[in-house]
Formats: sequence, structure tokens, C-alpha cells
Amino acid sequence: MTSPADRERLIEETVSAHRERDREGRILPSASFYDLAPEDRVLAFEETLRARTLEAALDPEGLSSTARALLARIRGGP
Amino acid sequence: MSPDLDELLPSLAAGDQDAFGRFVAGAELAVRKSLRSFAALLDTEALVQETFLRVWQVAPRFTPDGSDNALLRFTVRVARNLAVSELRKRREEPVGDEGPAATVEAAAVDPLLRRVILLCLEKLSGPTRGALVARLESAGAEPDHAIAMRVGMRPNTFLQNVTRARRSIADCLETQGVALDPTIFASRPREGTEAP
Repeated sequence: MTSPADRERLIEETVSAHRERDREGRILPSASFYDLAPEDRVLAFEETLRARTLEAALDPEGLSSTARALLARIRGGP
Repeated sequence: MSPDLDELLPSLAAGDQDAFGRFVAGAELAVRKSLRSFAALLDTEALVQETFLRVWQVAPRFTPDGSDNALLRFTVRVARNLAVSELRKRREEPVGDEGPAATVEAAAVDPLLRRVILLCLEKLSGPTRGALVARLESAGAEPDHAIAMRVGMRPNTFLQNVTRARRSIADCLETQGVALDPTIFASRPREGTEAP
């Protein structure tokens, strides 16, 4: 049984745009996502929509953290 | 009116990375929303990122069909195909999937809305603000525990502060007549709203 605090932590970790990659460079799912109950995964999805919307609105170029992470990736970043 | 992201195709074909950034900025919301029915089963953030990387690779060879936002519609199809393929490997089905939307629209940030959000961000202070700003500045480059260490917070405290900060901003926006939800790009601040 996941405590409310753990549930919030897992949702927030899932909302992050950071994703690890495997040796072939494929993007891996968040480990926290798989620790969430299905209904909490949907909550994380909705929260991610809000977070990316906020990030894009705050960014001078309208880029969310996902967009920034993608640009770093194609530019050969981490 | 939805912008036509196909205007970026010549730049994308030339490998212009800034143009790719502009394409993602306009396309991300539509692509993400198209994956809603997969959200209980798949990590859609990973799917969204994988989708855009694949589109970046094939964009130079993409031939538009003549209708607006052909590359955006193609990107939505790539995302959904990736999701379905992943589920097939696991012999699962999406929940309540009604197929791709009949129309997809590109997004554009409203400058006035941006000012209102900045006003709300300015109202945050202390570790709540620090955590959110650090997460924003990191832009997906680092895991949360690394950001937490950099700003001198325990990982759990850092995550709690990020959640609180976003909720505070959502509450602040609500008082300005703006709902921080996926339709935010279509929203407008209440008349007479004072923005900095």
C-alpha cells in the first residue's frame, strides 16, 4: 500500500521530463511510473500536461522541459 | 487560428535544430493529448520524446500531403503507433481509445498569458520557488535527486516543493481567471488583469 506522501512523490517524479536511456540510446520509461496505480498514472499524465503548459509559457522561446531535453539530445548533449 | 507548422519543413529538411525546437513547441501539446488513452498503461513522457526524435530523423524525407500541419498529423500517428506497438508487445489494449482525433491543432503561446504566469511565479518565495526554478532551469537534463542535491534539499523535500509551487501558481492563475489546464493556450486572462 502506497502512502499519500509516496504517491505524491511518485507522481512528481513521473512529471519530470528527465528520462534515462539504454545503451542503444532508446528513451526509458520512468521507474516511478510503474510504481503508480493506473488511476494515479492518469493523474500524472494530466499533471504533466499542466506542467509542460506552464514551462512553455514561461520559456522565452515557448519550449517546455521536454522540448529542451529533446534539443539537448539532438545537439549531442547528455 | 492554429499556426501551420509545415512552414518549418524546409528548415527541418536542412537540419535546422532551432526549427525543430519551434516545431516541438507547436506540436507537443497535440501529440501529448493524443496519447491520453494510453496514460494508464504507458509512460507517455518517454513516448513523446521517442516520437519527436524519430520525426527529427525522418523530417528531411517527409512529403506533405498539401493540407495544413501535415507533419504534425504525421507526428501524432507516429506517437500512437509507438504506443500501440508497445502495448502489443505486452498483449494489452488502450483504455477507451477512440482513435486519433479528426483534427489536430498546433499551439502558440499567448504573450499576455505568459506575463500573468510570470506574475504568479514572482509571488512564490523561499524553497518552494527555488525548487520550481531549479526544475525549470534543469529542463529535463538531470534526475530530480541531482537537482535536489544542487539546491541543498533532500529529494523528497525538493519534490514536495515542486508540487507545492505548481499548485500555488495554479491557484494564483485561478484568481486571475486562468485555469492551468491543457486548454490553457486557448484561455485568456480576465479583463482588467494587471500583469507586470
